[in-house]
Amino acid sequence: MQWAIVIAAFLAASVEFVEAFTLVLVAGITANWRSAIVGALAAVATLAVIVATLGVALVTLIPIGVLRFVIGFLLLLFGLKWLKNAIQRYSGLKFLHDEEAIYAANMEQARARGEAVGTRLDPFGVLLSYKSVLLEGLEVAFIVISFGSGGAGGIGTAAIGAAAAGVLVILVGALVRAPLQRIPENTLKFIVGIMLTTFGTFWSGESFGINWPFSDLFLLLLAALYLVVSALLITAMKRRQPRVASATTASEAPMLSQNKEVRV
Amino acid sequence: MNVILKVILAVYKFFVGDLVILLGTVLTMVILALINSVGALVSLRGGLGAILIVGVLATLVATLGREVARPENRQKA
Repeated sequence: MQWAIVIAAFLAASVEFVEAFTLVLVAGITANWRSAIVGALAAVATLAVIVATLGVALVTLIPIGVLRFVIGFLLLLFGLKWLKNAIQRYSGLKFLHDEEAIYAANMEQARARGEAVGTRLDPFGVLLSYKSVLLEGLEVAFIVISFGSGGAGGIGTAAIGAAAAGVLVILVGALVRAPLQRIPENTLKFIVGIMLTTFGTFWSGESFGINWPFSDLFLLLLAALYLVVSALLITAMKRRQPRVASATTASEAPMLSQNKEVRV
Repeated sequence: MNVILKVILAVYKFFVGDLVILLGTVLTMVILALINSVGALVSLRGGLGAILIVGVLATLVATLGREVARPENRQKA
């Protein structure tokens, strides 16, 4: 076995798997796990069809730049919306727990109608999980083909490295899932907003040919930058706004749900 | 309301729901595309990353600024 190819594919694929799994975790925690898993499995099925149909020609036929642009652009839209809402809540411009109350009231109404709650497919969760796994999965396929096309049996060897990376990332992700679910809702949504905006900026930038300094490590710097700017914005807005009451009553929630988006 | 309009509105609400975010992000992408394709702007290509980040942050500040400026929010202050 060519260990150099296995290790190179393992390391490169690990980065892509971590990026994909991060967003699947986000979808699972903020929407629900069923949506996240359905989205991820749908993306894996799409990938399987693409790889089976195109094979090695995948590298030349799939416009990865276009895909990066579309997904990056959508993530920017989602991320900025989440970040805006979280900053508004932290600064007191929006009720901190109103969406929890709205969500609880909606769940109560659904239960009253005899509908199953908590496991219904959430379009946001499915789409986020699907597009992240599809993009990163394609990048892993590119890595396997690029690293493995050097010699006979190379693709199989590179695939072993990439598969090992995938299994490792999924195992680690399963371990960190429980602690993540204990994070307060608005904090989680704030972090998600930062992450989606970071990934969106990174991928849409790559689609324009930007070579980010330090490659994928730049994601951390970008996230830190957005975190600092968001903290400054919260501080500035808090100075302007007195804190509003931190919760709304469940009885007001159904009325509020007619005017406000739910959970996002 | 027309069914097509309803669909467009539902898609808009699902993906964005905020006109400032949509316009700001689209404008940033258009600026990047122009810099990338117009020969006269070739000297700016080295700063594409910075322009993208500034565009994203400007969009965030603009949408939050609009929320702060809303009359109902001004009354809270």
